[in-house]
Amino acid sequence: MKRKVIAVLLTSLMAFSLAACGGGGDSGDSGSSDSGSSSGNSDAIRLVNGKIEIDSQLKKLAEMYEEETGIPVEIESMGGGIDIQGTLKGYYQAGNMPDIFVNGGATDFKNWEGMLEDMSGESWASDTEAAYVDEEYGTIGFPYTVEAIGLAYNAGILEEAGVDPSTLTSPKAIEEAFKTIDSKKGDLGLDAVVGYCAEATNLYWSTGNHLFANYIDGGLERDDTTYIDMLNDGGKVDEARLTDFAEFVGLLNQYSDPALLVSGTYDQQILNFASGKYAFVTQGSWIGATMTGDDADAYEAAGNFEVGMVPYAFEDGMDTILTNSPSWWSVFSDGKADKAKAFLQWCAEDKAQQVLVEEAGFISPFNSCKYVASDPFAQTIVDYQTAEKTSGWHWLGMKEGLAQNYTGQVFSDYAAGTLDTEGFVKTMQQVIEGCYAN
Amino acid sequence: MSENSTSKKMLSLVLLAAGAAGLAVALFLDFSGSGSPIRGTLLIAGAVALLVGMYLFPTVEHHRSIINFIFLFPLLFTFAVTVIIPLLLGIFYSFTDWNGIKFSGFIGFANYTAMFKEPAFIWSVLLTFLFVVFNMILVNLVGFMLALLCTSKLKGVNFFRAAYFLPNLIGGIVLGYIWQFAFNNVLVQVTSKLMGMQNSVLANTKTAFIAIIVVYIWQYAGYIMLIYVTGLTTVPKDVLEASQIDGANALTTLFKIKIPMIASTITICTFLTLTSAFKQFDVNMALTNGTGSVADFMGSYLTNGTQMLALNIYNTAISKNNYALGQAKAVLFFIILATVSIIQVRISNKKEVEM
Repeated sequence: MKRKVIAVLLTSLMAFSLAACGGGGDSGDSGSSDSGSSSGNSDAIRLVNGKIEIDSQLKKLAEMYEEETGIPVEIESMGGGIDIQGTLKGYYQAGNMPDIFVNGGATDFKNWEGMLEDMSGESWASDTEAAYVDEEYGTIGFPYTVEAIGLAYNAGILEEAGVDPSTLTSPKAIEEAFKTIDSKKGDLGLDAVVGYCAEATNLYWSTGNHLFANYIDGGLERDDTTYIDMLNDGGKVDEARLTDFAEFVGLLNQYSDPALLVSGTYDQQILNFASGKYAFVTQGSWIGATMTGDDADAYEAAGNFEVGMVPYAFEDGMDTILTNSPSWWSVFSDGKADKAKAFLQWCAEDKAQQVLVEEAGFISPFNSCKYVASDPFAQTIVDYQTAEKTSGWHWLGMKEGLAQNYTGQVFSDYAAGTLDTEGFVKTMQQVIEGCYAN
Repeated sequence: MSENSTSKKMLSLVLLAAGAAGLAVALFLDFSGSGSPIRGTLLIAGAVALLVGMYLFPTVEHHRSIINFIFLFPLLFTFAVTVIIPLLLGIFYSFTDWNGIKFSGFIGFANYTAMFKEPAFIWSVLLTFLFVVFNMILVNLVGFMLALLCTSKLKGVNFFRAAYFLPNLIGGIVLGYIWQFAFNNVLVQVTSKLMGMQNSVLANTKTAFIAIIVVYIWQYAGYIMLIYVTGLTTVPKDVLEASQIDGANALTTLFKIKIPMIASTITICTFLTLTSAFKQFDVNMALTNGTGSVADFMGSYLTNGTQMLALNIYNTAISKNNYALGQAKAVLFFIILATVSIIQVRISNKKEVEM
């Protein structure tokens, strides 16, 4: 009998430890009782940055700020696949919240409902259209750059092929252009017309978020929320619009590099575009940094060609690209809120903007900023902005995990040919509904 | 003597009271959100005072058990903080609408019913069981064969032993990415030349599942091999010699002598592979992250074709930001693993009795 008891005890001990290893979610909870992990300098403003690639530039800003005001700023950079919101939740549980941290859209902001400082009184707030404004809580997001989603092109190749990018504002025109370029592929030295990658494991965000963003915002006014509202109302989609969109994606499937389409990687996609092997690439303005950074040699060998963006015009007359601040900095109310707000105001001013634009390659969201980044895509974005041909980024308000767990895979199946256009539309509808039902 | 005992008793009681008070104040300070810097020191000092007070407590009959408790305390405490409390909290959270930061109310068994109405989750459970069955058989088979090779009189056996074991030392995430590269960039080159197949094996649910199994065997077979090697070397030489004299060939020796002699090793290995396959997470996440599609399962189109249970729990909590539902799934996961472990202990005990 005693032996049995011991056996059961040992078993449960073992099982407990197994479940603790596997459960994942468990481990974060135990932190609530020890909140002693405060950082070294208690006067410092702590900023959690979500773009690890600009870590050194931000640290430079922090130094400049300390020199000027005597207030130290600590930069904590995260990125490269880290779940930032998850980490922040851990910090919150441990009572170790930063004063300024990054938020990527409505779903992220909702996590911190009522805990963020309203910054509408700051003078930078009237200097930009890209701030994150919540109906209830006011201006709670500080924009630091502008990124654009559009169909990026190689201007040199388009010119050689005799295609005028400014005419590409209808699906027909784009199809014609694809056909023309496809027929001259050999002469132009191209592997394929489009570098479109629908790989689902690592690039789900490119299709499920950025490409799908065009279904939500393509051709609309910046504040038009028709399709995101439908989506968030239990996952409804506009079938006619989605069908047009699906046909356009079909076009991308057809003219994309087959070696890239289903099993490619981001690096491959950008490298090939930078080497002039694709006329178009389905990535946004952020690839400029990779083209002039990691892929600089290939880009130079291809002649540092000019680039631009055309709209994903899946319906006639769509002439906007989608621009927005990809994420915002928010101030945590329980922290050193006033100091943090002063720092952000300083960031929006001339000196800091010069570093952010010229060194970090940001495209300033502030009207008063007079610097232009050296990024290849900066000019295109500025042009679209001055012509007021931009739409918003309402895809940030999609349900969390929609692209990663649901739609990315459907794009991949469509690319692999297991779904046809009609099947794509139907499956999308069903999968999105399923996601919202949970 | 009695005076000595009274003073000792007094000291012990004072220490006990001070310790308890210190603990209580420290905990109160912490829970009331005060940032007072002394609360940590107070907590430790309180705990130490409490333990010393217990040690000094003048009793003869209970002295031994008090000492036992004091010696066990550090382990029990750590175990409670890292395992028991999180487990209880996890079960607690599974009945709420917790989102990782705060919860607004109890929702009873809603998470549990939601989980069983979700075809994607049921698929994950079934897939995990399938994976477990495949792995239990294949890993043991491969591991045992490698062990036979590594106990034979080949040249450089030690080198091969180390080489087969090496994959087990690489972390699952790293391993997953290495193999992802092999499948997506290398194997594709071969298949596209030979068969014109431009898509990697990871793009198709069925082949991706096989790929995960292959990678898992590659990772785990070396470890299992090592256990079998140990088992095989304990088979007494005289028995083997005797069988040789009796004219048994290699196959007969294997099936009639070696395998029966290492029956207990086989049991251990079976359960090791069973539980570790159930918990499969890192390779799954790094290799496919659960992608893959299933055209029609329980009337819906699934987009998590290769997602196993642990990864499903993780994605529910982290990527879909539904911590409470993830927690409910984790509780089910715990129940499954607990059942398996209980069966394991029972069978192992029986075997020990027989031997």
